[in-house]
Amino acid sequence: MKRRDFIKSSLGAALVGALSGNAITSAFAAGPIKVGILIPLSGPAGLFGPSSQNCAQMAVDEINASGGILGRQIEPVYVDVGGPPADATQAALKLWKGEKAEAFIGMHDSAVRGALTNLFKGQVPYIYTPVYEGGECAAGTYVIGETPEQQLAPVIPWLAKEKGATKWYLIGNDYNWPRDTNAAAKGYIEASGGEVVGEEYLPFTADNFDSNLAKIKDTGANAVLITLVGGASVGFNRAFASFGLADSAIRLGTLIEENTLAGIGAENSKGLYSSAGYFASIDTPAATAFAEAYAAKFGADAAALNSLGESCYEGVLLLSALAGKAQSLSASDIDAIAEGTTYEGPRGQATMSNRHVAKDIYLAEADGTAFKVVQTFANVDPGNNCG
Amino acid sequence: MSAAPLLSIENLTGGYGEIVIVTDMSLAVAAGEALCVTGRNGVGKSTLVRLVTGALKPASGKVIFEGEDLTFAPAHGRARQGMGYAPQEGVVFDTLSVAENLTLHHSDRSLERYRELFAMFPRLPDRLGQRAGTLSGGEKKILSFCRALAEDTRLVILDEPTEGVQPENIALMAEAINSAKAVGRGFLIVEQNLSLVEAVADHAALMDHGECIYTHSGTVNLRAELSRRLKI
Amino acid sequence: MDLVVTYGLNFAYSTATLGLIVLGLAVVFGLLGVMNMAHGEFVMLGAYSALTVQQAGLPFLLAIPLALIVCGALGWLMEWSVIRHLYRRPFDTFLATWGIAILMRKGVEVTFGREYQSVDQSLPGTVSLLGIDYPAYRLVLMAVIVVMFAALFVWYQRSNTGARIKAMVQNPDLAAAVGINTARLSRATFVTGVAIAGLAGVLLAPLVRVEPYMGLDYLLSSFFILVVGGLGTIEGLITGSSIIGGADVIISAIFDKTAGYLGVLAISILFLWLRPDGIFSRR
Repeated sequence: MKRRDFIKSSLGAALVGALSGNAITSAFAAGPIKVGILIPLSGPAGLFGPSSQNCAQMAVDEINASGGILGRQIEPVYVDVGGPPADATQAALKLWKGEKAEAFIGMHDSAVRGALTNLFKGQVPYIYTPVYEGGECAAGTYVIGETPEQQLAPVIPWLAKEKGATKWYLIGNDYNWPRDTNAAAKGYIEASGGEVVGEEYLPFTADNFDSNLAKIKDTGANAVLITLVGGASVGFNRAFASFGLADSAIRLGTLIEENTLAGIGAENSKGLYSSAGYFASIDTPAATAFAEAYAAKFGADAAALNSLGESCYEGVLLLSALAGKAQSLSASDIDAIAEGTTYEGPRGQATMSNRHVAKDIYLAEADGTAFKVVQTFANVDPGNNCG
Repeated sequence: MSAAPLLSIENLTGGYGEIVIVTDMSLAVAAGEALCVTGRNGVGKSTLVRLVTGALKPASGKVIFEGEDLTFAPAHGRARQGMGYAPQEGVVFDTLSVAENLTLHHSDRSLERYRELFAMFPRLPDRLGQRAGTLSGGEKKILSFCRALAEDTRLVILDEPTEGVQPENIALMAEAINSAKAVGRGFLIVEQNLSLVEAVADHAALMDHGECIYTHSGTVNLRAELSRRLKI
Repeated sequence: MDLVVTYGLNFAYSTATLGLIVLGLAVVFGLLGVMNMAHGEFVMLGAYSALTVQQAGLPFLLAIPLALIVCGALGWLMEWSVIRHLYRRPFDTFLATWGIAILMRKGVEVTFGREYQSVDQSLPGTVSLLGIDYPAYRLVLMAVIVVMFAALFVWYQRSNTGARIKAMVQNPDLAAAVGINTARLSRATFVTGVAIAGLAGVLLAPLVRVEPYMGLDYLLSSFFILVVGGLGTIEGLITGSSIIGGADVIISAIFDKTAGYLGVLAISILFLWLRPDGIFSRR
């Protein structure tokens, strides 16, 4: 809250400064654009709050420095949506109707997204940024995150061919993202000539994975698709390696980012792959420049870069691109031009397709506690989400 | 009463929180003597004992033991200074063995100090390994009595020691008390059984409604005086 | 056959580690009646002690004295400032220790950050045992826990301090009356309990995720075990651990992990309902 006050007052100061000068531009006359940035600052996903906020702020500062959106400065308002969907809806409603926020960018779970699309009903532009299960087609809603199709369609055949992944064991937490991801995975596994030898869903509270590991070993799986999240993923991967299973099976995660890998630890990360639209270690000019700017802005001790945090940066870029193309912030104007909108971010070039974005997908292999990109799949289609 | 008492209770008032049960009691126990406090149920005898042993904090008055003011000393400190205490209820540690009940407060864990008492109450040494909770009520009382009488206590406080104890053992208790008195140890005994009182008391005090209503020194007419007043 | 051996070892491991985790709470809750909601946070501090030692490049075993000192000192402070005023006031204790738990989590979050940490196993790799490969560190850990429990059992049954603790637990007034300083013994018992929780944290750190919120899991499983095993006895603690751990392993093996978790929950609720004092009750 302090931070918000600080931002407000500094923006206020900037405004006064501008007004006292002789150049009263149309930008300031119209006032800043309030953008609600909905990120988890508490709860289980609170881990990603700091990196998300940093990334969003960085994009805002960069865009503001180059003139803002449609000549207006962006005023980000950060809201904690780490709690239940009802709380998130309340907070968003207050921001929208009370503080007149003109756009929303959200990095949170699907339950919150469902509640928000119901609330917004396409009347305000809403950009949803994290990796998710696919299928969101509500009007006014634009999705940046990786869909299972993007993360798996090129990757599973590649792993089959290059790493001999043929017998897959699917393990995830018990909710819709892992289930939908695995449903998509099954098709790609069959198409690549492999088979699914086991499928299991664990409660979020699971902290002992011994029985799952015994089953994995018993099935003779040589590849494991992991859709466990956060602490469960850390615990599972540590136990997996301690049983020596890393020597007999590769692991592929679709939400194993830098924090999770740090928790898994260097001695447990052998043969661990992750598929995502962003890694801190992507070696492209755009990504390197982004990482350097981040380090310069927030210091060496700042929350580590990861795909979820970085997605908030992309979210602001997309909002800017959409508004720029529509020359308006109205939801209907943006909806009319959204298809085909492109922007360039740290992830590479992204193009809107069916409310999602076609973009590059990176397959990285853990090397100690860092990711090393082993393959880049260019401009991967998000799949048919609005069928 | 002698000039330098082992224990002196001066104008002691107290009870449970706001509820005052004992009012302005003054008593003294001399070395080598026994003071028996008697009275009907519920007149505050056990409360008096709990104030003396430190389980309750008095509202006013003093408890002086061997010249030292122990009014607000913690219970365990009084025990360490040489007060033995056998309560009326919850007399033993049920989950501990008989031997542990007798030794847990002595770092040497020696049963040697109980040799004479064991000779008087031979059922006790026979059951050293048994859990105290499995003893009968009378046996528990005897165990508690022995622990309180162990040789290094100079003042022994007994709260209804004979409750549930067989008559022949009550006689043995009196014998044990008298021989302890002979070596200079003092006793504060709350007791309704007048046979024991008659057998051991040098002084007696009668309580009613938290106050001392009568004191008697010596054994002459003791039983008759007490019985008469108890009946009123 | 291999699968049977694996499940057998998993069962043993699960029982042993659950026993280790619950031990500290069993001391604090079972003996003193203090429902220490910060129990898991002391486990967490133990894990961060292991992390600190690792980050300083020191040998893993040094984490044990570090955790004992850190948790012991904090436990002493906590008992002195808060707990001793709240004995026999369970609800107040519950709230106060919950508040302390939040402070501890936030303190660690500020110091070490919110992110996941990894503590290396000092004994990586697997050992071939009865025809299967089993993690070496786990086998050593199980042996350490068994020895620890045996020593503790003997000490508690035989030592004078053990007898005094039992005496204090059963009849505090009488214990004070026979000369036991119950205030000091309670404090020592509390400090010992939380130090044991810290030790558990050190020993488990190489196997689990390490982050400021890790303690909550341990509090919950410890509570289940105490519900089933009952308070105040080491036998109950071991039985509770094996029932909870065993139910989880067996049901998860036959059905799946969700069923295992529900099974544990169902058993705990049944015990709360039908045998609120647990299998071994001191009453």
